[in-house]
Amino acid sequence: MAMPLKKSITCWLCILMLAMQTGSARAQSREYQVKAAFLFNFAQFVDWPAVTFADTNSPFCIGILGNDPFGQALDETVQGETIDNHKIIIKRSQTLDDLKDCQMIFVSQSEKGHITKILSDLDSKPILTVSEIEGFAQHGGGIDFYLAGTKVRFEINPGVAHSDGLKISAQLLSLGKIVQSAREDK
Amino acid sequence: MVAGVSISQAQDKSSDVVSTNANINKSSSAVEGPATYKKMSLEELMNQDVTSVARQPQPYGQAPAAIDVITGDEIQRSGASSIPEALRLADNLYVAQKNSHDWAISARGFNTDLANKLLVLMDGRTVYTPLFAGVFWDQQDYLLKDIDRIEVISGPGGTLWGANAVNGVINIVSKSAEETQGLYVEGGGGNWLQDFGAVRYGGTLATNIFYRAYLKYFDRGDEFLTNGDNASDAWRMGQGGFRIDNEAAAENRFTMQGDFYMGDENVPTGGNAHTGGGNVLGRWSHTFSDDSDMSLQTYYDRTHLADPIPANAVTLQPAGTLIDDLDTYDIDFQHRFHLGDRNNVVWGLGYRFTHEVDQPAPAVGFVPETLDQNLFSGFAQDEIMLVKNVFLTAGTKIEHNDYTGFEYEPSGRLQWNATPKQMFWGAISRAVRTPSRVEENERLPFGPPISAIFPNLLTGNTDFESEKVIAYELGYRAQLGQKISTSVSGYYNDYQDLRSTGINPVTLFPFTFQNNLEGYTYGAELSLDFQIFDWWRLHGGYDWLKEDIHVKPGQTDINNALNETADPENQFQIRSSMNLPKDIQLDTALRWVDAFQYNSSVAGTPASVPSYFEFDARLAWRLNKHWEFSIVGQNLLHDRHLEYVSPSPAPEEEIGRSVYGKVAFNW
Repeated sequence: MAMPLKKSITCWLCILMLAMQTGSARAQSREYQVKAAFLFNFAQFVDWPAVTFADTNSPFCIGILGNDPFGQALDETVQGETIDNHKIIIKRSQTLDDLKDCQMIFVSQSEKGHITKILSDLDSKPILTVSEIEGFAQHGGGIDFYLAGTKVRFEINPGVAHSDGLKISAQLLSLGKIVQSAREDK
Repeated sequence: MVAGVSISQAQDKSSDVVSTNANINKSSSAVEGPATYKKMSLEELMNQDVTSVARQPQPYGQAPAAIDVITGDEIQRSGASSIPEALRLADNLYVAQKNSHDWAISARGFNTDLANKLLVLMDGRTVYTPLFAGVFWDQQDYLLKDIDRIEVISGPGGTLWGANAVNGVINIVSKSAEETQGLYVEGGGGNWLQDFGAVRYGGTLATNIFYRAYLKYFDRGDEFLTNGDNASDAWRMGQGGFRIDNEAAAENRFTMQGDFYMGDENVPTGGNAHTGGGNVLGRWSHTFSDDSDMSLQTYYDRTHLADPIPANAVTLQPAGTLIDDLDTYDIDFQHRFHLGDRNNVVWGLGYRFTHEVDQPAPAVGFVPETLDQNLFSGFAQDEIMLVKNVFLTAGTKIEHNDYTGFEYEPSGRLQWNATPKQMFWGAISRAVRTPSRVEENERLPFGPPISAIFPNLLTGNTDFESEKVIAYELGYRAQLGQKISTSVSGYYNDYQDLRSTGINPVTLFPFTFQNNLEGYTYGAELSLDFQIFDWWRLHGGYDWLKEDIHVKPGQTDINNALNETADPENQFQIRSSMNLPKDIQLDTALRWVDAFQYNSSVAGTPASVPSYFEFDARLAWRLNKHWEFSIVGQNLLHDRHLEYVSPSPAPEEEIGRSVYGKVAFNW
């Protein structure tokens, strides 16, 4: 029994080794596929003032500031979707000015050094800012992602969103961790 | 200890390992792709396991160690009904069931009756007993539904975790209270796991302060003697507990948790064993900045064991009960910070006080009956980026224990992230296994000697020293494409001063424990995960182990060096996980364990346990988001089979085929 079995183990190993050399396909990581779905959800759980849209045909714009970690995942997520009858579009840019007509801006990790400037530029504008930079919401951003173990969680700063004229649904608030910006603590 | 809270807390880099492994290696939910996720509710999204590839300074950074992570979802899908059964999922562990309530579990060999080279932690609380430096697996339980993951590291972990992490570390991590909100009820029964039930409720005490509380019980039946007779070793146990997580402030997180349990076991040699205990633990984690954090943890743990010891015909001692009561008080501090651009430093301090009282049975006891011990420890480790993608991790632990004084456990690890998805590593480490009461204090028999010429059969040896290992390891881990991930590791362990049982050169008796074995082991561990389709995942694991442990020249061991090793040279498992239409899950697992030799008597004669195949299966149907029905079959290939034998008064036992059904309700 033992000998043939050991031989078959050896063969089994060869097959595994062969199999290992064949993997190749590169796709966006699960983390960003999930985060893309979160962004789409945020858009549905937040109300923007009507003035943010030039007219009823204007698209709903999600901006990505800095290096895009989503790849195609975000495009595939919002493809064919609308928010209150506004078609969703994605804009990518390295400069904030290009994105100021967006309803939501995702601030990439690459902008970590500039968040104070970015947030002060966007202060009081009806734009929901989302980031995965640690402490982003506490610094005055709208929402930031963090990882709890292997799962995605988000912190939300309702004060900032509110002062910018956005209405955040109670459900979103109940699922996120509520934080306040440092300046509001005073 | 704090360093053991979780690998992810001990080293920020390793958190990638945990999450990456959890994802690639174990992508348990087979659904994938943006099209699937966009249809999910926020709650569902929050329950998805993801990688953390982008979060850390070096992408796909991984701990340079042989680590296997079992996710909570995998445990659920395997049909495991206890922690030892769940540990069968780890590719780098040897798990053998001895009877209805006892297991032998080890990594890289030395899987004896009283396996003593593995350190096991549950949420940062060490569950190893100073009685024999091993783990009473029949006292470690949890509501499996609330386990987040089990991290299994094979190889020495002494630098971070301290003594007894000689051949490996098992880290059982429960979910935070935030992740276990709502009502959960499960119940069911079968032929061996006769009936069981559990209820858990999780809620909030205030904004961002979460709690949960649970109760569970089970009633396991008897296994079999080799002739097929009932072994009379049924096991019943009840357990409850709670956990509170205060996440109100991002920079300060507080956790408080506790458990209590009581168990009752029929013992084949007569009588009932009783177990009981409880623990309470508090932890404060503080984040100073992105690059610096600390945690402070303290716990109290109490265990009670009353074990019926049969009469001994050789020493003419009557039957009695050995009672072991252990109180453990532990406090640990850990601090992590970045030094410049290249250094990531972790250091910590710890103190443990144990108070152990052993009331003897006539046939066996411990002297002194009451023993108080102090353990002081400190460690420091620096991870240095040598050049881009190459990291050196060097550090040591220094401990002071009452038996052997100072012990040091240094290690050096080199890691090369060859590509963002491939990593090579190598390590050299030293670890020690400090003495336990068995080696130092045991008296066999404890009662009056039958005559002056025939005194004690065996007495402890207060000069017993620590066992030592120097381990050399090499490993490779990779994610090859979206579908395949793999991990390979090889090791060579050089052991000194292993436990032997020596004779008295003049009077023959009493035997004493000595440090007269030495030798080496080498082997390899392989794991491969293949997500064939979205709905079908295959996983394979293989272990190869060679052991050469012998008596030091000129010394004696009555067990002929056979008492420390009872390990198969080869073992493998193949697991298949399928998500079928209509919310049906089908999970199957085939394992094969090689024959191995054990010490059949105190005369050091080898006997062997034959190799075996076994097969487990689980079929589950999710009616809706509240109800799930499942049926689980374990060890289906044989009416009964032998997994383990140890020389002891207890008869050999075989493990039977078992089937149980389960209903789970979630609200």
